[in-house]
Amino acid sequence: MTFGAWAELIASGLITGGVYALVALGLNLQYGLMRILNIAHGEFLMLGAFLTWWAQTSLGISPLVILPVSFALLMALGLAIHRLTFRRLARTSGDLDVFEARGLMVSFGLMFLVQNLAQWLWGGELRGYDWLAEPVAIGDARFAANKLLLLGLALLISAALIVVLRTTLLGKGVRALMQSPTGAQLVGIDTTRLHPLMFGVGLGLSGVAGCLLSTAYTISPAMGEPYTVTALIVITLGGFGSMAGALVGGLGLGVIEAIGMHFTNPSLKTLLSYGIFIAVLLWRPNGLFARR
Amino acid sequence: MRRDLVILFVLAGAALALPFVASDFVVSLALSCLMYAALASSWSTFCGSTRYLSLATAAFFGIGAYASALTLGELPWLAAIALGAAIAAAVAVVMGAAVLHLRGTYFAVLTFGMTELIRHSIAYFEKQVTGTVGRVLTVVPERDTVYLTVLGLAFAAVLAAILIRRSRFGLAMAGIGADEQRAETLGVDTRRVKIAGFAFTAAFAGAVGAAMSVRWTYIDPATVFSPFIGFQTVLIALIGGAATLWGPLLAAVVFSLLAETLRLSMPQVYMMSLGLLLILSVLYLPGGLASIRWRRP
Amino acid sequence: MTSRRHPTSGSTRRTVVGALAAAPVALAFPAIVRAQAAPVKVGYAIARTGPWAGGAQVSQEPNFLLWAEQQNAAGGLNVKGTRRPIELVSSDDRSDIETCVRTYEKLMGSDKVDLVLPPWGSNANFAVAPIANRMGYPFLAPTALSRRLVEMKLPYFFLLLQQPKPMMDALVDLLKANGAKTMAVIYVDDLFGLENYAALKVAVQGSGITIVEDKSYPLGVKDLGPVLRSMKDKAPDAFVGLTYPPDTILASKQAKEIGFNPKFFYASVGTAFQLYRNVMAAGAEGVLGMGSWNVKTSPGAKAYFDAHVKKFQKEPDRWASGACWAGLEIMTAAVAKAGLDRKAIRDYVASTEHATIIGKIRFVGSENVGTPGSVSQWQKGEFEVVWPKPIATAALQTPKPPWG
Repeated sequence: MTFGAWAELIASGLITGGVYALVALGLNLQYGLMRILNIAHGEFLMLGAFLTWWAQTSLGISPLVILPVSFALLMALGLAIHRLTFRRLARTSGDLDVFEARGLMVSFGLMFLVQNLAQWLWGGELRGYDWLAEPVAIGDARFAANKLLLLGLALLISAALIVVLRTTLLGKGVRALMQSPTGAQLVGIDTTRLHPLMFGVGLGLSGVAGCLLSTAYTISPAMGEPYTVTALIVITLGGFGSMAGALVGGLGLGVIEAIGMHFTNPSLKTLLSYGIFIAVLLWRPNGLFARR
Repeated sequence: MRRDLVILFVLAGAALALPFVASDFVVSLALSCLMYAALASSWSTFCGSTRYLSLATAAFFGIGAYASALTLGELPWLAAIALGAAIAAAVAVVMGAAVLHLRGTYFAVLTFGMTELIRHSIAYFEKQVTGTVGRVLTVVPERDTVYLTVLGLAFAAVLAAILIRRSRFGLAMAGIGADEQRAETLGVDTRRVKIAGFAFTAAFAGAVGAAMSVRWTYIDPATVFSPFIGFQTVLIALIGGAATLWGPLLAAVVFSLLAETLRLSMPQVYMMSLGLLLILSVLYLPGGLASIRWRRP
Repeated sequence: MTSRRHPTSGSTRRTVVGALAAAPVALAFPAIVRAQAAPVKVGYAIARTGPWAGGAQVSQEPNFLLWAEQQNAAGGLNVKGTRRPIELVSSDDRSDIETCVRTYEKLMGSDKVDLVLPPWGSNANFAVAPIANRMGYPFLAPTALSRRLVEMKLPYFFLLLQQPKPMMDALVDLLKANGAKTMAVIYVDDLFGLENYAALKVAVQGSGITIVEDKSYPLGVKDLGPVLRSMKDKAPDAFVGLTYPPDTILASKQAKEIGFNPKFFYASVGTAFQLYRNVMAAGAEGVLGMGSWNVKTSPGAKAYFDAHVKKFQKEPDRWASGACWAGLEIMTAAVAKAGLDRKAIRDYVASTEHATIIGKIRFVGSENVGTPGSVSQWQKGEFEVVWPKPIATAALQTPKPPWG
């Protein structure tokens, strides 16, 4: 294979990987910080996608405008959900294990609720629209403009998150909470405000991912689950809670899949992903990049 | 214990009489109830007491389904069911040995991943090696045979639950659920107990899968390894009360009836209410439905 | 206006009163007669929720509803001369086979409906066909596709859609007649994909066309880029995608992205949907796919199309929807001829050549051999049948123009 062909292959893998990373960010925040494994993550992504689709096809509003709207709406939804459910769970659960297990079940319930609500509202059919799909030539290779935008925004948002977490006081508080919940509270970090906020941000991020995804792929109420699974795989690879890990993990997964698909066939791709997933969980449960 | 056994026999007797007095439809409905009763009861016997949430039910169900699809031509009915159970249990032992040292969400997520891995592996194998996608079941036993088999499995699952709870094995599992490290220091071979429990749930799921596959005439990986089977089992067991004896059975019946009535009038509402019910019960009734009736000191 | 307010004789008053009393009865007479004609119960389960709902609500259930409405507007279904209203007894099968099986057992076993209509998709039909056969209910399925279903040899089961072999033969014939020499294939990891792929391989033997690359992919794939890129490098004359709607659109979009524009671009399922035109817009021009009719096929087809759009504000698809409506036409004709004797209906369906909106339909065993395998192409916003020539609504336009 020529260098150009390799470059194109890897680039397309990076683009898909960018999607993966973007989708994983929100989930990572929620699990890394609060040990809430939000299985319904993909469903909120789907809501963001439908919102964008509806705005674009019925009102003619560009997805770029809807992006922040999607974030805000889903963040508000996240705050509400946290207040109604997880807050009570945190108070009534004996220990962290119990809280995790119950959190998992609650997100199960949310998954059923949200997916079927969407199906009730919009019907089960496939939808799609055309936006910024013109090909852009970079050297010899051609990529769709919306996919490039996706990659760009994924990198931008991940970078922004990492910077916020590292430098701002809020971010340091979040990281402290991730490292040691009790210790953080001892030094006065306010869990009761940070938890709902971060849960909301997590959901908002999934809304952003959904918005961007709807520009490039067809959408349906059932689209969420595969993304949840991918997000799970990515955060496992990168280590729970690590934003940089999720970014690298996502991009890496995309590239591995692209190369795998090229040399074997796409049917093996899923096997490959799950195989890697299980291998990592078994041998390096703290993620590929953990220092422990 | 005697009271539990009496209740079990009475219920079994009523279920036994059903095919002779009720319409096709009611029998079908009962079959669904019994299927989830068997799955949820056996699931909670292990997962409820040890608090290791397994999402692998669909994997074992599917293995059983394929076992019967592939062998029903040559083997008699009960042998095919037994084979399904045996293979599922064997897979569970291997899976368990690799996976059961991880707790909580890791375990749940891993079992889910393994289910998907098994499903995609079988799909790939079928496609590349045998050149098919699914399997058509050509030899199909009478509907009543299937009903009685599933009834038998449900009966066995609840009976086993009753007996295991009072045995050393059951106490060991409960101990693991309460505090695993302490159980180890007290001399429980946690590894063996866990693997045995996991294999127990797998055997039942495999047998049920083997029995139900004949109802669908054509099976393919997507249908029999559907994660929904696993989710619904877990949901029913949790809402019923995973650590209780009668909870899963109660919830299985309630849900099958609820599903049917709501489906005929408002199908989406059924699924939404399922989700809502789960959330509410986790928040306000963590012990499950059965904990309302039973006041265990 | 003259009115006799005081009739001079009692008999005249009685006549007037009698007439006045009889008038409402006379007006109500047709209604009474109609109400007295017992309804024909037609039962079915269909996916209104779950993964099958997308296809079922585009290609199947709307046709059932339209049919019942049209028949009832004409006074009811013609049962051997008597018009009886249709009563649809339906429920959601939630895309779950067990639910499907249970519902049909109820409809045919306990409720004993007069007629049944099929569920959507091959999997559901596999499960329900043996039951329908056992209970003696004729089953005309428009969305079931598998050689294995035909091989089951169920006398009461009829498949309306063209099976893989005729469809692939038609495609290869079209390509051969237009000078294609090389082909790249992708196919979905599903019964549909595999059977069509197998049929395609058989069809290209001896046709002078070589398959230069073939790759399968799993359901729900998100990126076909790498596969399409390597196919682009091989520069085949034809691209054949044995794909489902989401993948059809994905392959089309990604082919457009990377500039993969072979002379012939074929994607099987989904190209016939209105959705394809909505999403691809100008890019749909020249794309080939599985389609067997459009409004130009027959006057009946146009009437059906218009009625569908009027009632549902969405177009029927250019493949399975037509087959579904044709099945309903056959059923209507059968009931008119044979009444509600299900065995007689079955015999009529099996032995007659039926005239339907998509042409002549005739069954050999379970398979419809009347409708030939066909290929359609998007031309200026309409999916035209371009092969075979006898049923074509427009001429093939080749090569495919660049992606719009």
